[in-house]
Amino acid sequence: MTTPSATSLDVEVMTKKLLEELERLGKSTETFAKLAASRMNVRIGQTPRELIWTLNKMRLYHYYPQTPPEQRKAVPLLLVFALINRPEIFDLRPGNSFVEYMVKQGYEVYLLDWGRPGLEDAGFDFEDYSLRFLPRAVRAVQRHSGSREFSICGWCIGATISSIYAAMRPDDGLRNLVLLTAPLDFSNKEAGPYNRWLNTEFYNVDELVRQYGNVPGAIIDYGAKMLKPVENFIGNYLKLWDNLDNPRVVESWLSMNAWVTDNVDFPGAAFRQWVQEFFRENRLMEGTLMMEGRPVDLGNIKASVLNVIADKDHIVPNCQSTAAMDKFGTRDKLLLEVKGGHIGLMVGSGASKRTWPQIDGWLAKRSQK
Amino acid sequence: MSQNPTEGFDPNDPFGAWRSIRDANLDAWAKGMVSLVNTEAFAKAIGLQLDTMLAASAPIKQAVQQYMEAYLAQVNMPSRGEVVSLAQRLTNIELRLDDMQATLDELLAAVRELAARPVAAAPDPQPAKPAAPRRARKAAAE
Repeated sequence: MTTPSATSLDVEVMTKKLLEELERLGKSTETFAKLAASRMNVRIGQTPRELIWTLNKMRLYHYYPQTPPEQRKAVPLLLVFALINRPEIFDLRPGNSFVEYMVKQGYEVYLLDWGRPGLEDAGFDFEDYSLRFLPRAVRAVQRHSGSREFSICGWCIGATISSIYAAMRPDDGLRNLVLLTAPLDFSNKEAGPYNRWLNTEFYNVDELVRQYGNVPGAIIDYGAKMLKPVENFIGNYLKLWDNLDNPRVVESWLSMNAWVTDNVDFPGAAFRQWVQEFFRENRLMEGTLMMEGRPVDLGNIKASVLNVIADKDHIVPNCQSTAAMDKFGTRDKLLLEVKGGHIGLMVGSGASKRTWPQIDGWLAKRSQK
Repeated sequence: MSQNPTEGFDPNDPFGAWRSIRDANLDAWAKGMVSLVNTEAFAKAIGLQLDTMLAASAPIKQAVQQYMEAYLAQVNMPSRGEVVSLAQRLTNIELRLDDMQATLDELLAAVRELAARPVAAAPDPQPAKPAAPRRARKAAAE
């Protein structure tokens, strides 16, 4: 440790530091100029894939296998993302892609993209997504893969949709259910800012949906950023500024930024239901969430369940996922806590070293014939 | 937890020192803001902000919508509502087509399975009973 009183000023060292800083500034200016001229756009979601099914705005992709047939897993894996933001976070960029990793492990990987809802989709709610659209995508996976059994990996609201599907269609052939940061239990009204914001009487969700139809992605994005305003509005850009001389960090930042800023509108009816029936009334856990005229009972889930939570998740507090463990009907279930945040748990170097291998280790044993 | 303000400070590196001070300040600010947004007062404020915005925009939106609908009708153009309704019908048709395709695929698979089954050997025809000699028949009748 150095203190001003204990250290004397050294002109030589100061000059060296100043020159280093000027050199860094030169490199940074070059990168900044490229950034400003939009010449550093990065592409996300690059793992080779084919489109195998469409319905309305939905798209189902199959990733080309990269392993010999004898090394492939027998049970295909379907990835389901949330209704907000794009599913390309599963396949951010080469070297930092869960899809790429799983394909290399021998899985037949499918990705369901919900698409960008238009006004005509404003009436779709969770029943539509869980029980009208997801089963049809599953059917397309079964048809394409030739396997009746399959696994689903749902992330965030995608995990909620997948859980509802698993509970309502237990005999469809779902063998494994991997949930990533799944918001399921909203009983703790003190847990996280979202709970406070959405539970207030002033948050007029009906009027919001009535006026906009679908809730604009910009509003959803603003809400997400306000959870950590200083980090998101200032710290994020300072991180870029400090690393402008490091192309790897800049590329990584740009990839993430490309995904974060690509906002998708939240279908109106689903958003209203999300706020009213999930956040405020906690119906899924209470057993009072009605779909197809009967209550959704997580106890009906027969598939093996891996419930992954992130220790620093500020969007879905851990208690919203953990409490559901007792409700799952299956006996083969595991709660896995990994390091990272809501998105960080699946993206970045930590993910490739910790989260992905653990998911693969659990799933591989359950994906044999 | 108290932090030593001189920790990491190097007088020979003014840029580094500036960064350290900046980061320490940002950290403190970030923690303060996270606590703030997690309060009841902030939740009410954000709800009120949204409510006020919606209350202010409602009459304007309604007026624009009425004007546009009238204008589009005048120029023989479909309104947004009509286009949306058409798109919804298309979605329903797509759903039905998807179900029909699935049914057809199932049928096709069943037919192929049947066709692939080895044809079972046809049973030998029953050998015809040798007709009794006419003389014997006549004797029996008598």
